[in-house]
Amino acid sequence: MSLIAEFPPNFVHADRIDDHDPPPAWLVALVKRARGLLLPVLLAGLWHWASTIDASTAYAFVPLDQIGDRLLLLLSSGELAVNAGSSLGRALTGLALGGLSGIVLGSLMAGFPMVERLFGPLLQAFRQVPLLGWLPLVGLWLGSGEGAKQLLVAVAAFHPLLLNSYEGFAQAEKKHLEVGRVLMLSRWRTFRFILLPTALPSILTGIGQALAFAWISTIGVELLFGTGAGLGSLMHTAQMAGDMGVVVLCVVAIGLMGYGLNLILSLVRARLLRWRVTG
Amino acid sequence: MPSILHRRLLPLVVPGLILAAWIGATSGEGAPLQVLVPPSAVIDGFNELLSSGELADHLRASLWRLLTGFAIGASLGLGFGILLARSALVAAYTGPFFQAVRQVPSIAFLPMLILLLGVDEGFKLAIVAKAAFFPVALATHDGVKGISKGWLEVAAIYRLSPVRVLLRLILPATVPPVLTGLRLGLTRAWIVLVAAELMAAENGIGQMMEMGRQMFRIDTVMVGVALTGLIGFALDQGFRLAERRLVRWKTA
Amino acid sequence: MNAIIDPRSVQADSAPHTGGLAIRHVDKSFDIDGRKLSVLEDVSLTIAPGQFVSIVGASGCGKSTLLRLIAGLERQNRGDILLDGVPVAGPGLDRGLIFQDHRLFPWLTVEQNVLLALSNSDEAAADKRVRVASLLTLVGLDGFAQAFPHQLSGGMAQRAAIARALAPEPQVLLLDEPLGALDALTRLRLQSELQRIWLTRRSTMIMVTHDVDEALFLGDVIVVMQPGRIARILHVPAPHPRDRADPSLAPLKAEILSLLHAG
Ligand SMILES: Nc1ncnc2c1ncn2[C@@H]1O[C@H](COP(=O)(O)OP(=O)(O)O)[C@@H](O)[C@H]1O
Ligand SMILES: [Mg+2]
Repeated sequence: MSLIAEFPPNFVHADRIDDHDPPPAWLVALVKRARGLLLPVLLAGLWHWASTIDASTAYAFVPLDQIGDRLLLLLSSGELAVNAGSSLGRALTGLALGGLSGIVLGSLMAGFPMVERLFGPLLQAFRQVPLLGWLPLVGLWLGSGEGAKQLLVAVAAFHPLLLNSYEGFAQAEKKHLEVGRVLMLSRWRTFRFILLPTALPSILTGIGQALAFAWISTIGVELLFGTGAGLGSLMHTAQMAGDMGVVVLCVVAIGLMGYGLNLILSLVRARLLRWRVTG
Repeated sequence: MPSILHRRLLPLVVPGLILAAWIGATSGEGAPLQVLVPPSAVIDGFNELLSSGELADHLRASLWRLLTGFAIGASLGLGFGILLARSALVAAYTGPFFQAVRQVPSIAFLPMLILLLGVDEGFKLAIVAKAAFFPVALATHDGVKGISKGWLEVAAIYRLSPVRVLLRLILPATVPPVLTGLRLGLTRAWIVLVAAELMAAENGIGQMMEMGRQMFRIDTVMVGVALTGLIGFALDQGFRLAERRLVRWKTA
Repeated sequence: MNAIIDPRSVQADSAPHTGGLAIRHVDKSFDIDGRKLSVLEDVSLTIAPGQFVSIVGASGCGKSTLLRLIAGLERQNRGDILLDGVPVAGPGLDRGLIFQDHRLFPWLTVEQNVLLALSNSDEAAADKRVRVASLLTLVGLDGFAQAFPHQLSGGMAQRAAIARALAPEPQVLLLDEPLGALDALTRLRLQSELQRIWLTRRSTMIMVTHDVDEALFLGDVIVVMQPGRIARILHVPAPHPRDRADPSLAPLKAEILSLLHAG
């Protein structure tokens, strides 16, 4: 959920700098950027200090050097790579399966009112259940193996793409469709050159949301089922063992990977939507 | 006439088929009871949970956590959002960290919070507050930043008093985005709370479902699924209603 | 009402033989919430191949509807529309339509927009591109093939729309207030360009306009409409290319304006 970029990345506004003794521009830029680091560094310092008070706090607030050791261990054993890869694969497979079904059903619902009436209200009702609310039921039916996880992740990706592609395809403008008729475009060309481009911005928005939901629910199902590989399972095991170092590293890895996925998507999006006045 | 029939009846076809298949699968030599119980058994299960007062206890626990955590997270979010928008200094020092933390799904913080705060109420309130904080802070920041210079200039030309500017301009302009942020925060908080209760709790709707799963009580689980959906829907719709009431001047 | 228009006298030697329209006793009405709104009543008009016809009339009197009937986007309730003797049944590449808003597809470049109009031709892709390039030259858009519509000015976008409509080489080009949204200077320039294109192409053109001077500058024939019907058909004797200050235009203008005010 927090992956959806609702916030302009460059909202940080620079302070006025007194100009009686102008420092070099690069230094100003560096200092300005470094100000953002102060808070995390401060928090890390507090954390480290808390770890030194006594044994009970050291259990939760592990010393920073211990987190570093854990990192080296996870990296050298390949554990981090294996689990990250497993989560990534699960999220992307879920996105592909659920997302594709969402796009297909969404476009059918936009094109055929009958399909919309048959499935719309029911899907709307299903959508109300929170992502992981299904987990106990799916757990009872499919166990806690790969099938159950993959199903839940796919469902998470399904809804945003269903909604967005439905809206996108329903937006097709009469004035553009009329041009298609005057030019005698075939059904396929009408779809390819009018309907699809009209729906594309919405679909891409949907892919962004679906990716975020797929990633969140991947971590969620791994964490709650606690079986198999994956960053969520790794975190689950570490929590059970009271290993805060690994938990912290997993949180950071999850954040970085989510950010990376979103970044790739926004590049693709900018490329595909070049024709728009504003990105 | 046929078109009205179409509109009214078609949506009932698929649910009707599912219900029929459900009844068919559970009648006679049907599926084992750990896998599927007939709809009537789910209704019985619901009545049982209701009359024993168990359901009310779970509901009370979940909603108390939701509202308390949300109140904390949302007020912090409101305050921080305004600071972030109005103070360049706050933005410079906290903005990047805020953005970084925002990248991590709330769910991923559950194990960390459990290790830090234990499995009692504290971690649930904290995760609910966290889930509410970010959307509210963002929406508030955007709302405050979004007040157009043009409007402020109009206010200056007509020499409106600061009180007028606040009442007639700043508040009406920021209320709609903030309300949207609050709604988003509330629904997200609910999602995360259900996950947290599934993970570790003595009571609450999530815990009820988790117990149902462990004891193969499919009726309890199904009641839980339906309830989490209903509550999420009610929260969302309630907020939308309030938004429409408060922001009548907006089109759409 | 039935009016026969003489074939154009100028350049009679090179007059085309296709692109003649016969509109006979056409009625058109729309259903609005079950109520019938009559838009055209018993409209008849004959247009010779290669003629330039200007249609003027107040807003809402049915000009666009008439063009859309000819284009095949709407169907008349009564009467016939014949193109070279064949009844119009739906859109076809023998008729092109240019709208007031250019209606280029914003997601395609200028070149792709024009190419799309050639998608029913089985020419080789390379030949199509050559054809598009020469069309873009014709409308004065050299060097803008790879631009997206949002990068063009209003006048340039309308030029691209003209190129797109010309691409399938229609025998009849229908123009619905094509210059209506442009500023006065761009309008004047594009009027001259339209005249040049028409003289090059020799296809039938039917243009709806609000601008009486524009109608007179371009049209061999001016059709003056009043709500639902054709009020008068006027012939413009001045030769092409036309001088805007031609003295024969002034009395025609006065007559058209008085008809429009009466309507
Ligand atoms: N699709 C339609 N449905 C209903 N009424 C229409 C439709 N198209 C045009 N009309 C009505 O027909 C009349 C003539 O419209 P139009 O041909 O667009 O006029 P003009 O182009 O001369 O301004 C107007 O009153 C208009 O509202
Ligand atoms: Mg019109």
